[in-house]
Amino acid sequence: MSLLQVREVTRSFGGLIAVDRVSFDVHDGQIKAIIGPNGAGKSTLFNLLTCFDRPDSGSVLFEGRELFGERPDRVVRMGVARSFQNTQLFEEMTAHENVILGTHARSGSSFTPAALRLPSARKRDDLASQEADRLLRLVGLESWRGSLAADMPHGLRRLLEIARALATSPRLVLLDEPAAGLNTQETTALGEVLYRIRDHGATLVIVEHDMGLVMEVSDEIVVLDRGCKIAEGPPRLIQKDPAVIRAYLGEEDADEL
Amino acid sequence: MSLLREHWRKLALLIVGAGVAVVPLFVTGTDARYVLKVLSFVGINALIVLGLALLFGYAGQVSMGHAAFFGLGAYASAWVTKSLGLPWLVGLAAAVLLTAAAGILLALPSLRLKGHYLAMATLAFGEIMRIAFVEAKGVTGGPDGLSGIPYASIGPLSFDTPQMNYWLVWGVLVLAIWLAANIVNGRPGRSMRALHGSELGTMASGINITGIKVRVFTLSAVFAGVAGALYASVVGFVSPSTFSLHLSVILVAMAVLGGTRSLAGPLLAAVVLTLIPYADAILPGLSREVMTVIQEWEADVYGLVIIIVILFMPGGIAGALRGVFVRGGEAK
Repeated sequence: MSLLQVREVTRSFGGLIAVDRVSFDVHDGQIKAIIGPNGAGKSTLFNLLTCFDRPDSGSVLFEGRELFGERPDRVVRMGVARSFQNTQLFEEMTAHENVILGTHARSGSSFTPAALRLPSARKRDDLASQEADRLLRLVGLESWRGSLAADMPHGLRRLLEIARALATSPRLVLLDEPAAGLNTQETTALGEVLYRIRDHGATLVIVEHDMGLVMEVSDEIVVLDRGCKIAEGPPRLIQKDPAVIRAYLGEEDADEL
Repeated sequence: MSLLREHWRKLALLIVGAGVAVVPLFVTGTDARYVLKVLSFVGINALIVLGLALLFGYAGQVSMGHAAFFGLGAYASAWVTKSLGLPWLVGLAAAVLLTAAAGILLALPSLRLKGHYLAMATLAFGEIMRIAFVEAKGVTGGPDGLSGIPYASIGPLSFDTPQMNYWLVWGVLVLAIWLAANIVNGRPGRSMRALHGSELGTMASGINITGIKVRVFTLSAVFAGVAGALYASVVGFVSPSTFSLHLSVILVAMAVLGGTRSLAGPLLAAVVLTLIPYADAILPGLSREVMTVIQEWEADVYGLVIIIVILFMPGGIAGALRGVFVRGGEAK
């Protein structure tokens, strides 16, 4: 059974249909990429899948449960974590603390144990700290543990956001343009991190512009153009797909590839 | 390094705590009753402002109705202890439960909406409660209020002297500070700091933002309710004129002056601003004429304080001190 079932999802802004009856499946253990020219509706679709935006119609089932209508933080606790195209880190906190906040998804922010300093609160804090350290190692940021997020270079901030997403113990991780603004070396490192995440049992959906990365890491690709799905399949087939080539090399978007 | 700082912190707190505890032993003479009563008022106001500091400084919300929670707690405990003749702790429990319920009922709908709906709702709540205190004569005694409220007592221990009242109020305040500090330094505090940094990032961390704000608001309402129960038993008399919008504004002024993301700043502001109209309790030389002028201009002083703080030091006392330390640190 597929982990995520996207069915006939539609979202329009005024007269513009940003996402038009898009359907696809994400299977357990996959890395699935969503690509498309600028304005294809990738980011809109992404915000819909994580319930940061509401669709006009359609349905998204995660492990058989409807996601639409849920609050974003509930979706995270159900097991769907995300990153942002413009990183949304806690700038005045350390890298370690940023990741610890992700663990709040599972263990809560309850007042009573914290207010009374119950042993259970202390134990939970210790576990959260260890988990954050493990995830910083997973994305290769262990040496930045005590640095403020604001002081970290752009490429590493993206990795930090991924680590925070992983700290929510997700089954599905959605990454919004994780390679944007990264140099070649950083992109290669990111690819390795993505493999590592998948090997730890999470399924990945990435929205990405970097074709090199997409073609290398993804098992399957969904191609959007002007809100519609125009192709879906493994990278080798997508590269040869006439509709995809037309979308990318067509009149308006000739400079995309 | 940080462990050493932690030790110094604890030592400093211990010294301050011991200092606060021995005050009644040194306050003697003819004015002792008055001075201790004023210092008890300081503690009661500080307790309310502590809750407002959590709400304003950490959760970024404003309440214009905390005088009403204060009054709700005062009337609840006064009614239970005087009219029903039940033990003081039952009255305290009634104050806690009633203010918690009112807090949740008010916060849940208004905090689900974005913007300053909570401030509006609390303003309306304050006015409604003020009228209710006057009209519900059977319980509140109407405009005349309730008098002859018994002193606080816990089993055989009776708080029936000014000294005992002082220790009761400040003991409860210290306990409340401990709870609030733990919350601020624990997971809820971390979530609230995260909220300051990035609301989207907080949601993506699976944190229920509304839930946290509702809980902080409820807690601050309960702190005000407990302060009300203390007030009723310390003064022995409650009347509706005490729990006015005027008091709500004064309390907000203390929290704003004290500053954001700090408990010490608002506590200090509560102490100083509460003492202004009672300056003669601390400075015995002040003449009656000077005191009259101060008391007449009290409200204007608070208004001016809010304006000056918002214009020139939006971080309040705490923010200004943080600024000094950060700049000093960078200069090295």
